[in-house]
Amino acid sequence: MPDWDGTGLPPAAAARMDRFARSGLRTSLLSVPGAAGVESVGFTPVGEVMGCMVQQIGWQGYGGCGYYGYGGYAPSRTITSTDRQSYAGYRPYVDALYRGYRTAIARMVTEATRMGADGVVGVRLSAQHMTGSNREFVALGTAVRNRAGQHLEKPFTTDLPGQDVAKLIGAGWAPAAIGIGISVAVRHDDYRTRSQSTWGAGNTEVSGYTELVMHVRSDARHRFERAVTDGGADGAIVSRMTLNIWEIEPSDGHRDHVAESQVFGTTIARFHRGEAAPTSSLTILPLRSKTESR
Amino acid sequence: MTETPTAQGVPADAMRRLAEMRPGQKTTLFTSDLSVNEFLLVRESGFRPLGLVLGSSIYHVGFQLGRWNKNQELDVLSTAMYHARELAMTRMEAEADVLGADGIVGVRLDIEFKEFGSDLAEFVAVGTAVKSDGNDSWRNNTGKPFTSDLSGQDFWTLIQAGYAPLGMVMGSCVYHVAHQRFWQSMGNIGQNVEIPQFTEALYDARELAMSRMQAEAEQLQAEGIVGVQLLSLPHKWGGHTTEFFAIGTAVRPLRADHTIATPQLVLPLTD
Repeated sequence: MPDWDGTGLPPAAAARMDRFARSGLRTSLLSVPGAAGVESVGFTPVGEVMGCMVQQIGWQGYGGCGYYGYGGYAPSRTITSTDRQSYAGYRPYVDALYRGYRTAIARMVTEATRMGADGVVGVRLSAQHMTGSNREFVALGTAVRNRAGQHLEKPFTTDLPGQDVAKLIGAGWAPAAIGIGISVAVRHDDYRTRSQSTWGAGNTEVSGYTELVMHVRSDARHRFERAVTDGGADGAIVSRMTLNIWEIEPSDGHRDHVAESQVFGTTIARFHRGEAAPTSSLTILPLRSKTESR
Repeated sequence: MTETPTAQGVPADAMRRLAEMRPGQKTTLFTSDLSVNEFLLVRESGFRPLGLVLGSSIYHVGFQLGRWNKNQELDVLSTAMYHARELAMTRMEAEADVLGADGIVGVRLDIEFKEFGSDLAEFVAVGTAVKSDGNDSWRNNTGKPFTSDLSGQDFWTLIQAGYAPLGMVMGSCVYHVAHQRFWQSMGNIGQNVEIPQFTEALYDARELAMSRMQAEAEQLQAEGIVGVQLLSLPHKWGGHTTEFFAIGTAVRPLRADHTIATPQLVLPLTD
């Protein structure tokens, strides 16, 4: 098999697409309610689609906090990976994460396009650590095709399950694309932070750490919102929002804290023209107890 | 009204809208932390999501030692737990205020003790800011947007039943439960007996948490509190020190009668 140069689909995936074209065998990762859901709004599941990329993240960026007043009492500031003018921060690392997720999604969409699909629903995104500094990015979903009428050049993607896609379309909203917002920020533990977080400090807010997590979350949310406007959508439904914070010690007695925030969701576009969405819910009472449904 | 989805395929409007999506075109941007069910129900109750709002505080929780054989509230810890949540909530409300919201629905209040530092915890409040489609005022008597930790489904039902949320109310009490005296525990060996001071301690602690929550609801001139959770959170202070935390949504009536349409019974065929 010839070496693959990284463009288009890997040979194995391309072979799978060819086989699909010949046999037309349909596969799906949807649950039964999910499949029934997409069927009810006019989509037919076509096949499971995957996009994958293994990336070495060898350089995370100059992990400095941009603080030079060693031993001094000057307050430090939070540096996020989006800050342009700064050499500090973790921009290369965040860019690498974006590249990983985007490439995985793009390859998944390429598969979907080859299958003649109009969308990919129930997408699961993951980033797994492998040996060393390698990371595997995977996007896995089910391609669906409009049963009749217009087709899309570029399929939509959503991490919502089939039932939710059906409910949205029924109410006049169409899922558009998966939105991602990632940011990493770093802040030096200045004198104030250190004194607020020692054992004897009593009840007090640690303003430095609070500032760090507020900044990193707000930056990640901004980038997520940009995914909505850049795609021309009207809104987004956030499915997952994570925050990690940890300590690093770049040199003796110099401590920083780093925070990473990730926001995932689906951007949605409105297609109903009236003032209110055309929903009409029916109040029902399921005949089972809450514990049973878990 | 859009055409009903048929065997013919996806509604043509939906496909057209997706095909016409262009980067950077003028849209009415919002983000929401709600699930699809909640999003649609909140829309149906006449509210529009404006954006995800969030407030956070990393807090150093002080230290206080409970006397070995005494039932007592550890007020330093109670104050910390309350104050830090208040900071997170206030910041979330400030974000909603900037968006011009009438209220915040689906609020989650989380605490995570951190691995680094000593006694550091992050308190975070997340919710979705909403605005009413109508013109009537939904803000509470403090002039702030209402807050509610009810799910979108509960929020919808509440509005249907003619109630409006005023604000989340909470009460916290960190309590140290006395250890048994030596001779008491010796005397109880092998017997099934009530340990009265334990029972009393748990009563006292819960009562303190609940009465603080009620006091907050009275300040909001609420008619009642719904969706109350009474939690015992052990956090990290050992077996005898527990936080009792009461939280709920204070409500006011919107109209005199509170009847809702009789629900239909269904038997779901899913697991």
